[in-house]
Amino acid sequence: MLYLQVLLNGLALGGLYACIAAGFSLVWGVLNVINIMHGSLIVLGAYLAFFAHQVFGINPFLFAPVAGLVLFAIAYPLQKLVINPVMGRPVLITLTLTFGLNLFLDNLMLKFFQADFRKITFDPPLGVFNLGGLLVPVDRVMATATGLALVGALWLLLRNTQLGRAIIAVRMDSQAAALMGIDVTRTYALAFALGAFMAGAAGALLSGIFPISPVTSSVYLGKAFVICVLGGLGSIPGVLVGGFALGIIESFGTLVLGPELALTLAFLLLIALLMFRPSGLLGRRGFQ
Amino acid sequence: MFSSRIRRAFLASAFSIASLTFAGAYAADTQALRIGAPLPLTGALAPEGTKLRQGYDLWLDLVKEQGGIKVGDKTLPVEMRYYDYQSSTPKAVQLAEKLITDDKVDFLFSPFGSGAAKAASTVAEKNGVPMLASSASSAEVFDQGYKNLFGLYTDNSTLSEPIADLVTGKIPEVKRVAILARNDLYPLSLAHEFEKSATKRNLDVVYFERYAIGTLDHAAALTQLAATRPDWIVITGYINDLILVRKQLADLRVDSRVLTMINGPAYDEWISAAGKLSENVTTASWFHPILSYQSDDVFGSTARFVELFHKKYGSYPDFTQASGAAVGVILQQAIERAASTDRDAVRAELKKGGFKTFFAPVSFGSNGMADSYVPPVYQIQDGKVQVVYPADIATSDFRSGIGH
Amino acid sequence: MSGRVVIGLLAAAAAALALGLAADNYVLRLATTVGMYAALTWSWNLIGGYAGYPSFATAAFFGLGAYAAGVLQTSGLPFGLAWPLAGLTVAVFAGLLGGAILHLRGHYFAIASLVVADVLREVTNVWTGVTGGGMGLSLPLLSLGGVNGQARFYFTAMLMMAALGLGISWLVERSRLGVALRCIEQNEDAAQVIGVDTRACKVAVFMLSGMLAGATGAVYASWVTYIDPTDVYDVLLSVKPIVMALIGGVGTLMGPLVGAVVFLGLEELFWRNVLEFHAGLLGLLVVALVLFLPGGLRDMGRYGLLRRLGRFLPWSRKIL
Repeated sequence: MLYLQVLLNGLALGGLYACIAAGFSLVWGVLNVINIMHGSLIVLGAYLAFFAHQVFGINPFLFAPVAGLVLFAIAYPLQKLVINPVMGRPVLITLTLTFGLNLFLDNLMLKFFQADFRKITFDPPLGVFNLGGLLVPVDRVMATATGLALVGALWLLLRNTQLGRAIIAVRMDSQAAALMGIDVTRTYALAFALGAFMAGAAGALLSGIFPISPVTSSVYLGKAFVICVLGGLGSIPGVLVGGFALGIIESFGTLVLGPELALTLAFLLLIALLMFRPSGLLGRRGFQ
Repeated sequence: MFSSRIRRAFLASAFSIASLTFAGAYAADTQALRIGAPLPLTGALAPEGTKLRQGYDLWLDLVKEQGGIKVGDKTLPVEMRYYDYQSSTPKAVQLAEKLITDDKVDFLFSPFGSGAAKAASTVAEKNGVPMLASSASSAEVFDQGYKNLFGLYTDNSTLSEPIADLVTGKIPEVKRVAILARNDLYPLSLAHEFEKSATKRNLDVVYFERYAIGTLDHAAALTQLAATRPDWIVITGYINDLILVRKQLADLRVDSRVLTMINGPAYDEWISAAGKLSENVTTASWFHPILSYQSDDVFGSTARFVELFHKKYGSYPDFTQASGAAVGVILQQAIERAASTDRDAVRAELKKGGFKTFFAPVSFGSNGMADSYVPPVYQIQDGKVQVVYPADIATSDFRSGIGH
Repeated sequence: MSGRVVIGLLAAAAAALALGLAADNYVLRLATTVGMYAALTWSWNLIGGYAGYPSFATAAFFGLGAYAAGVLQTSGLPFGLAWPLAGLTVAVFAGLLGGAILHLRGHYFAIASLVVADVLREVTNVWTGVTGGGMGLSLPLLSLGGVNGQARFYFTAMLMMAALGLGISWLVERSRLGVALRCIEQNEDAAQVIGVDTRACKVAVFMLSGMLAGATGAVYASWVTYIDPTDVYDVLLSVKPIVMALIGGVGTLMGPLVGAVVFLGLEELFWRNVLEFHAGLLGLLVVALVLFLPGGLRDMGRYGLLRRLGRFLPWSRKIL
C-alpha cells in the first residue's frame, strides 16, 4: 500500500514535469542553445499566475496559456535582439550569455517581487481524491492534466502546422531548410518564444501547487536538465517519458534513501546517463 | 618601446593599485557610535533579513529622538552600517571583516541565524569586537570559547523541553514521535534537542529524517512519516518550509495528537497561509507581542514596543523583528552603564547581564548565550496565537488533536 | 624567458610587494580575492582555453579542495600539509571525473561538469559526521600574530596560488602537452589522426586544472575559517572565472589576470554603490560582454573605444 502511494505520488507530477521540460528541450534541440533562463522564465510565469489569482481571482490552471502568451511576447524580441547574434557560436559563448540573462532576470524579479515565498491558497481548498485508500491532491492532478494537454498541443503543433514543420526542418538541417525557403532566423525566434510559452504555462501550473520565489528558479532548471537527458533530447515523447520517470525516481528515491538524498539521486542519474547514454531513453543518437 | 607584455603587466598592476586605493579611501570619521550590521537583504533569507532591519530601524528612531546614546555626560549619535551579504555566509564573514577594518565600527550585530553568526563570530573574536547575536540559538554557535559573542536567544533545549513536558503531562497516551528536520544548522540542532527531550521521557522516536534545503515537494518524506503512525509530529524549518509541509500533511490526510512546528507558526503570514490547518499547531519562540514585560529601555514595556512598531510599519512585530530592536536596547544599556564606548568596558557590562528589556530579562551564561528567561510555548487556537506555557502568563489551555 | 617578460613580471611582483607591505587590511582582502580568482581563472583556462572544453567544474574542484583541507585540518593536520594534500585529492578526483566525462563534447560536457558540483554539494550535505553537513565546518584559527598578520599571510598564500596558476599555464604553453591541446582545441578528430593521445592529454590538463582550483579552495577555507556546502560549491565560482577569461582573453597567458582584475574592480564598484541590484547589473555586464566583446577587452579596438588600450592587451589566439 505504501509503495502504491509512493508510485502515485510520483505519477501525479509527471505531466507537470513534462511541461517544465518541454520548452527547454525544444530550445536546446532546435537552437542548440541551453537556455539557463528557463528556470527564471518558469518563475515569471508563476508570478503572473499568482497576481492574476490575487487580483482577478483567476484559476492558475486556466491561466496557464495566458501566462504562456505573455512570455511568448517577451521572448520573441529577446531572441531576435540578444540571442540571435550568438547563434552558431561555441557552447561557451551561448551558455555564458544565457547565464548572464538569467542573472539579470532573476535579480530583477528579486527586486520587484522580493524573495518572500508567495503561495496561492484556494478558497475553498481543492481537496484530495481518494482512490480506494490512495490519496492524490486535486491540485496536482489538475496541474498534471493541464500540463499533459499543453505538451500534447505542442506536439500537434510541431507535426501538423507549417510552423511546426519549419521548426523540425531547421532542427534537422538548418542549411537545407534555408535552401528550401524557410526563414531560419524567424524560425529560431519562434521556437525560442514557444519554449518560453511552455515555461510560462508550466510556471502558472506550478503556482497552484508550490510556493514561488525567484530563489527557486535553479531548482526547476535542474529538473528540466535531468528530464531532457533522461528522456532524450528533441522529442516530445522523450519529454513525457522523462517527466514521469523523474517523478517516480524522486518518489521512490526518497523512500529508499531519505529525503535529503533525493536531489543527489537525480543528479547522479544525470551524470550516469551522460556517461553511458547521452541520448537518453528515447532520444536519437549523435544529437549534439 | 616596451613590449606588449610589459605594458600588460604594468597596466594590470596600475589598475589594481588604482582601483584598490580609490576603493580604500572610504571610511568616514565623525564622533558617533558606529554599529556594523551585515544583513541578508537578498537571497533565500531575505524575508528574515528585512525583518531584522525593521527591528534595528525602530530602535534607531527612538535613539534619534533622544539625540543619541548617553555616554557619561555626552550624548553620541548612532550610525548603523548595513551591508547585504546576499544570504551567503562567507560573504557575511567578509563583510564583518570589512566593517571592522574599513568602516571602523565599534560594535557588531550578528548576521541572521545560527550558521552565519557562528562564522562571523570568529572575525569578531579575532578583532576583539563585541558582537550581539540577534538570532542564534544553537549551542554549536557558542562552543568555541569566544569572549566577544553574546546571544539574545536561549538554547534550543528551552524550546523542546517545555513542549515535551506539556505533551507528556497533558496527553500521556502519546508514545510515538516523528521528527522531520531541515538540514540546516539551527533546524537540525533543534530537531536533535526534540529527539533528546522525547527519549528522556521514554517516548519512541519512530522517524527521524532531514530534508534538503530548498525542498519543494515533501510528499515522499511525509508518506513515509505517516506510515510510522506517530502520535506527535515535530517539523523544523523556516516559514516557507513549514507552510508547505503543513499543506502536504493535510493532502496526505496525516493525523496525530500533537503537531509541533518551529519556526514559523508564530508569524501572522504562516497562520494566514495555513488557514484552518493552523488549528492547534504548537510552536515556541523567544518573543510574541502578547508578552507583557516592563523594562528599563527606550521602549519602557513590551506593549509600548508593539504599539510603536505597529505605528511605524502597520503590522505587529514577530520575534525576528523584536530581536533586531532587542540587541539594540541591550547594547545601549550596556554602553550607558559603562559610561563609555570602550570595547573592554562594554564587554564587561554585557557579561554582567541583568538587562531589563521589553523582549525579556536578559543575562548571559558563561558561553555567551542568554539563560535568564524561558521562551513561551504557543498554540494556534481559532486562528489566534495563545500562550500555553509557562503557567503564569498562559492565556489558554493546551489542546490535543490537529485541524483538517 | 625573454628579458622583457622578466621585467614585466618583476613590475607585477613589485606591485604585489607594495600591496603586501603598505596597504590596509581591507585593500589586502580585496587583493587576496583578486589572487584567488586569478588562480581559478588560470585553472579554468587550462581546460577551457587551451583545450577548448567549456568546463563548469571549477566550483566542484574548489569546493572539494576546501572540504578536503577542512576535514584534514580538523583532524589535526597542519595547513602546510593539508593544502597540498587537498590539491592532490582534487587532482585524483579530476582524473577520475575526466576519465568519465571528457569523451563528451560541447553541451553535454558542459552540463556534466556543471552537475558535478551539485552532486558533491549534496554528498557533503549528507555526510554530516565528516563534513558537518548543512551546519558547515569550522576550521581551526591559525595563530599568525593578530589581524594584520593574518591579512598578510593569506594575501601571500593566494598570491602564491596565482603564481602557481601562472607558472603551470606558462609551462603547459611551452610543452608538448600545450601543443597537443591546441591541436585538440582546433580539431580533435584531426588531432587523433595525427597521433595525439587526446584522451590522455585532456585528462592530464583536467587534473592540473583540478589541482590548482582545489589548492585554491583549501587556502580559501582557512582564510574564511568557516565553510558550508552551499557556498563553496556555488555555481558562480564556475561562471565568474569563465567571464574573467572572456574579458582578458580565453586561451592566453595573462588573460586570466587581466580579466580577474577588471571584473573584480567592476564588481567592487557596483557593489558599493548599488546595494540591491548589483547581481543583476553583473548579469547585464556579462550579456554586454558576450554580445559586444566576445574576444575580450581587445575587441574594444573594434569600436574605436580606447584603441590604445586594446593594443596593450594580450592576444595570441583567434577570436571565438
